[in-house]
Amino acid sequence: MVRIDVVDNHGQFTHLEHRALRDLGVNTTLLENTTPPAEIEADGLVLSGGPDMDDTGNCAAYLDLDIPVLGICLGMQLIAKSLGGTVGTGEYGGYADVTVEVVDEDDPILGSLAPETRVWASHADEVTELPPGFSLAGRSDVCAIEAMSDPKRDLYGVQWHPEVAHTEAGTELFENFRRRCE
Amino acid sequence: MVETDQFIEDAVAEIREEIGSANAIIALSGGVDSSVAAALAHEAVGDQLVPVYVDTGLMRKGETDEIRETFAYMDRLRIVSAQDRFLEALTGVTDPEEKRHVIGEQFIREFEREAHSSDAEYLVQGTIYPDRIESDGNIKSHHNVGGLPDVVDFEGIVEPVRELYKDEVREVARALGLESVVSERMPFPGPGLAVRIIGEVTEEKVEIAREATAVVEDELEAYEPWQAFAAVLGKATGVKGDNRVHGHVVAVRSVESRDGMTARAQPLDWEVLQRIQSRITGTLPNVSRVLYDVTHKPPATIEYE
Repeated sequence: MVRIDVVDNHGQFTHLEHRALRDLGVNTTLLENTTPPAEIEADGLVLSGGPDMDDTGNCAAYLDLDIPVLGICLGMQLIAKSLGGTVGTGEYGGYADVTVEVVDEDDPILGSLAPETRVWASHADEVTELPPGFSLAGRSDVCAIEAMSDPKRDLYGVQWHPEVAHTEAGTELFENFRRRCE
Repeated sequence: MVETDQFIEDAVAEIREEIGSANAIIALSGGVDSSVAAALAHEAVGDQLVPVYVDTGLMRKGETDEIRETFAYMDRLRIVSAQDRFLEALTGVTDPEEKRHVIGEQFIREFEREAHSSDAEYLVQGTIYPDRIESDGNIKSHHNVGGLPDVVDFEGIVEPVRELYKDEVREVARALGLESVVSERMPFPGPGLAVRIIGEVTEEKVEIAREATAVVEDELEAYEPWQAFAAVLGKATGVKGDNRVHGHVVAVRSVESRDGMTARAQPLDWEVLQRIQSRITGTLPNVSRVLYDVTHKPPATIEYE
């Protein structure tokens, strides 16, 4: 059975990421973000959201483990910041109902959700510039970079919360990520 | 989802093993989590279990009577009338976290006394999985994982539903044959109506929150909300008959949700909203305005404090 662990950056929805994976039949454990990279045994990682970039522990180091990583909300911002992109405060906070336009229907994580998907968001900050190697995967009226992908390195980020019940195709998104981890 | 029959069998066996022949105590809140934990524990150890319900005076209309009825089959059920003590402790308290703290402290004092007098060596709690995570974060404090074990020296703490989510606990409640009033009951916060009152908690405001919430629950049944209630926000001017009224402002909230983690404010019909408004202002002389809260979670929370 494929194993995808969830790294807890102290977000209030972290346990729902764990649950979404569990409900897919994936072997999953909730990990402290201070876990040493050498102790990671998973086939893929989800980096959770959270309130504070300074409290993301070893998350940046997990990006060098050569396994697929899906960053959610702060997790996505962390990937961007660590790999040469930029993060800033958006002009318009993204809360609750947002419609995301899927930019590339061949994208491994988001493509199957094209042309658009209704999601639930909760963020003030956002990725303002993509890191080298990443392409834009989704955008919305309130946030220019809703999702980003680097299929070569298997690194992905979404600014919204696929794990909450109000996000329309959250399960499908996790299913797509699982396929990358198998 | 949880396999309910297997879960119940395992949970009962586990509780029986942990408690053995000792006495155990559980605090019933009226909510589905503690009700399920109590039913499982009673199944496991029968009359070794002392269920305690503390009437804080901050409960919904008719709640205490329903609990008395639902748990009448447990011989050692204790109902503690502590309304006056809670109101007194809350006098002058306006900060939301301080309010929760005061209620938690008073609750512990009430419960400590009952625990000692029943010679309970084990504490059973209805802690569910998200309670453990949310208490780690800093969103809100949950009083059922709070300070009780610090003041009472229990032999052990038993949390039979600690791995379950809310919707799974409801599944188990149905499988246990708990009356639908328990298994389908709307979630209700531990500190009760106190967190539906902005500012100081007074007898007058509690009464408004209780009566208005009863109206809202009654009128919105057909919408099948996850939670529907009324909160007391502050005061504003109105006119009733030929008299100016400086009355309370009541907010109506009705949301749909799977697990309370995110929520959508429900679209309600204008006629229904007007009927709620009319019933609340018509039966509560000191209410001058009724508002409907259209905010989802996030950015708002479901409850007001």
